[in-house]
Amino acid sequence: MPAKRVIPCLDVKNGRVVKGVQFKALRDLGHPVDLARRYDAEGADELVFLDISASQEDRSTREAWVRDVARELSIPFTVGGGVASVDDARRLLRAGADKVAVNTAASLRPALVSELADAFGRQCVVAAVDVKRDPDLGWRVFLKGGTEPTDRAALPWLQELCDLGAGELLLTSMDRDGTGQGFDIQLLDRASELPIPLIASGGAGLEIHFLEALEHGADAVLAATLFHEGTLPIPRLKAYLAHNGVLVRI
Amino acid sequence: MITLIDTGAGNLASLEGALDRLGLGHVRAERPDQAADAGPMVLPGVGHFEAAQQMLRERGWWREIPHLVADGRPLLGICLGLQLLAEGSEEAPRASGLGLLPGIVRRLGPGVKVPHVGWSRVQQHTAHPALPDPQESWLYFVHSYALEPGPETVYTARHGRPFSAVEARGRVMGFQPHPEKSGPVGLRLLQAALAWMGADASVPEAPCN
Repeated sequence: MPAKRVIPCLDVKNGRVVKGVQFKALRDLGHPVDLARRYDAEGADELVFLDISASQEDRSTREAWVRDVARELSIPFTVGGGVASVDDARRLLRAGADKVAVNTAASLRPALVSELADAFGRQCVVAAVDVKRDPDLGWRVFLKGGTEPTDRAALPWLQELCDLGAGELLLTSMDRDGTGQGFDIQLLDRASELPIPLIASGGAGLEIHFLEALEHGADAVLAATLFHEGTLPIPRLKAYLAHNGVLVRI
Repeated sequence: MITLIDTGAGNLASLEGALDRLGLGHVRAERPDQAADAGPMVLPGVGHFEAAQQMLRERGWWREIPHLVADGRPLLGICLGLQLLAEGSEEAPRASGLGLLPGIVRRLGPGVKVPHVGWSRVQQHTAHPALPDPQESWLYFVHSYALEPGPETVYTARHGRPFSAVEARGRVMGFQPHPEKSGPVGLRLLQAALAWMGADASVPEAPCN
């Protein structure tokens, strides 16, 4: 039984880690390598970098920081953002990423997931899915950073991603994201029935929220602001989880 | 000098970063004629057994590795690298492995999530001159297949069932976890394994006043 993982998520734009609310000014939090070192030292189990750079040119700068992060970091990391082909993924993996996350491109062309799994093994393929509760579909899948609704119901889509060859699911509840009111537990209950690891995202505000998510089937918990701001230091969270009987790496 | 066998698919940046932090010199070799003249060889690997094997064949390594090992060159396989050193794998029933480590690599499960991704504890299985008792240390794993524990197993881990985490037969060793991704504990193990294989730390000489 692997340890439950605690994963800080870092948004990167033009080679800098940023914190931002959409359509508002982004705040610069530093170079990816500096943040990576900090989280490595704090005992994070893994890092996820989501590159929110808009243009293709911006994305070409990311191989450089991915390479720097890989050389400095002694824990695994995932990179996502605009990965739309085996070639995109290969560049990131060659630069040193351990896994690539796919989202919009996989929804537009599901075969991408199989191509990635065939080329690199499914353990390299993280399927990121943003969902919102919906009266008709249970949970509806959104694309492009949550801005574009689809006709997909989340649970069948997660199953399909799994069948296509995804190695992990990074599931974000848009209803909860940024609220600090806790993860969408019902969503986790359903999604954790799938036979691949599940990373819960969206809604963490307190230590107990992480515990709930892990008790409801998540294999890993992801948060951003809470960790970046130092509101909840990772060592404190892990001590809390261990105290409550969760198997964590300390 | 450590030779990193470049299969084209593997992720060498993390491993190179780890070796740099340990002060160990290394060189990438796509083909055997690019290998260092002496010192340990490291076979990393991610991806599919058969695809990696194919690449090693194309680059001349598949034929050359057994000769090098027979000549006494130490060899460390990591993750898929370990699996390629075994006799074969269920992942590619038609292909055979290098046969430098005993056993057939089998799929994990049923009853557990596969791939096994994440941090698991390792236990000592057989004492080894270079590797300390890990005392339930956490190491990072990413794999769907594994060797069963056998007489040449040094550490085991569990995912549903026990499997071999570290194998050693003479100076041929295999790590199923990624020591270069396993924090300070992983780095220390990597250092211990490579030192035992004869790698020299290129530590600058201390001036003796």
